[in-house]
Amino acid sequence: MTSAAVLLVEDNDINRDMLTRRLTRAGLTVIGAADGQTALDRMRSDLPAVVLMDMTLPVLDGWDACEQAKADPDIAHIPIIALTAHAMAADRERAMSVGCSEYETKPIDFPALLAKIYQFLETTPS
Amino acid sequence: MAEPALNTVIELSKKATPELQTLRDTSEGELTEDVDALLLALDRFNVVASDDTTNRHDLLNAVAAVLGYAEMVLEQDRDLPSSIREGVQGIADALSTSTKTPETTTSSGRPLDTFEGCSVLVVDDLPENLDLMSRLLRKMHCAVITAESGEQALSLLESESVDLVLLDLVMPNIDGKEVLARIKQSEQLRAIPVIMISGRQDMDQIVDCIQVGADDYLLKPVNSVLLNARIKSGLERKRWHDKEEQYREQLEKREQFIRQTFGRYISDAIVEEILESPEGLKLGGDLKSVTLMMSDIRSFTTLVEHLPPEQVVTLLNRYLGKMTDIILEHGGTIDEFLGDAVLAAFGAPSDMKDHAERAVTCAIAMQAAMDEINHQNSADGLPKIEMAIALNTGEVVAGNIGSERRSKYGFVGHEVNVTSRIEDATLPNEILVSERTLNCLNKEKFVVGPSRNLKPKGIDETLAVFPIMGDAPSD
Repeated sequence: MTSAAVLLVEDNDINRDMLTRRLTRAGLTVIGAADGQTALDRMRSDLPAVVLMDMTLPVLDGWDACEQAKADPDIAHIPIIALTAHAMAADRERAMSVGCSEYETKPIDFPALLAKIYQFLETTPS
Repeated sequence: MAEPALNTVIELSKKATPELQTLRDTSEGELTEDVDALLLALDRFNVVASDDTTNRHDLLNAVAAVLGYAEMVLEQDRDLPSSIREGVQGIADALSTSTKTPETTTSSGRPLDTFEGCSVLVVDDLPENLDLMSRLLRKMHCAVITAESGEQALSLLESESVDLVLLDLVMPNIDGKEVLARIKQSEQLRAIPVIMISGRQDMDQIVDCIQVGADDYLLKPVNSVLLNARIKSGLERKRWHDKEEQYREQLEKREQFIRQTFGRYISDAIVEEILESPEGLKLGGDLKSVTLMMSDIRSFTTLVEHLPPEQVVTLLNRYLGKMTDIILEHGGTIDEFLGDAVLAAFGAPSDMKDHAERAVTCAIAMQAAMDEINHQNSADGLPKIEMAIALNTGEVVAGNIGSERRSKYGFVGHEVNVTSRIEDATLPNEILVSERTLNCLNKEKFVVGPSRNLKPKGIDETLAVFPIMGDAPSD
């Protein structure tokens, strides 16, 4: 099990708390951000192995944050898993269009999410 | 999420809450934390789910939190009281079945085509859809114009140059179908490819749209690879259409050129004929069997000697204008006006089987028109004029004759001279035809007078000529 950091970007505190707790319990190191701008800052300072990004965020939303991350050569390599509302079925394509590598709908299928995170941890130098 | 599912979860949570609270207070460690968090999440969920003003995002977050903590509680491998396990499992099941999303199509790794310089209008009433489409299109290097309503789309189509339209079917007020119909009714917009975007449930309407002229459709959620392919084929069609349009314009220009070149000398009907079968017209010069016509006004020079110039012009224009009309009406081609004389031919540039008969009928009509001309002349104080017409049938060289700088369609050859000699022999108001012309006629149609023999200067043979007295009286 790797201890590489996962950056969880989620503005809903109860959800962030829940996922942080679950991911930590799964053996991952979790750092958090509550808006897109902070997420970019933490990506640059902490270089997390994977980013879990809720797309509806204050300050800078997830869509724009992803695009900006992919435009920044220092952090463009960091895989981003988009966490989006299931009701917007087009979100998958939209997430891919802004450079996300993977996509999960809320509510999260936790085992599936873990599998996706691990897949990147194996391919990303930690 | 469906309302019943929300209510089920609220009911289940009410039932499970007391036991969960007991569990929280009696357990320790992670289980206490998780149960506490689940209770908090359930509280939040109940508030959010009972509030009508809650947006989808908040509701979903509340659901996600409950489900997450419920799963965490269930994952605890300690012995949970079965009633709690069932209660929490019930909540988790109700939430996860109600929020199942059908798997969307995955994009393959196919590289997308790019469409530099193409501008695409995206019409959708939902901003998140517009945002998605814009991002996808920008990846394909399209210039994107967005409209949030049918009204806005129609006004943008008026002001912007658009190569393709992606049109959402279901919109308030002017919906996609109506926008499509207006595009297809418009002469200027008709050629713009329109791709309809709709949900699977609206297939019936999509069929209607394709009948109205939609080029293609895409189902939501839009797959970027399919979108890419359909844009490509739509733009391809547009490109062909534009090319076709260009060819059509070139053709029109050529047609106009031919009309301008010939229009004043030959009838519209013949121009049409030439345009329809250009191979029938060889401008290089052609041996043609024709009936030539030469007409003049008797003693014109003497007649106008004492008239002021403007009256001479009035007199000539009235006469030549009328004769031109009659000759063109009968399918003749005017070679030239020589003062008061007219040289025309029947049977060129277009072949004409009955050129002799047409020429004679035309000559009779011309003579008949002289009464009206003279009537007008006398009203204007102008002298009475008398016209004579000579007709001769034979082969001439017809074609564009002249130099690079100045050329015109005309006729040359011995028969032109013969016609001129016959004209010299005509009497006032007479129509005089050569023997060859007469032999081409159905003699029962015309009254033919007694023949005369001519021995014209410069022509070896003796010419027999026949006056045509008019149409044969009908029974």
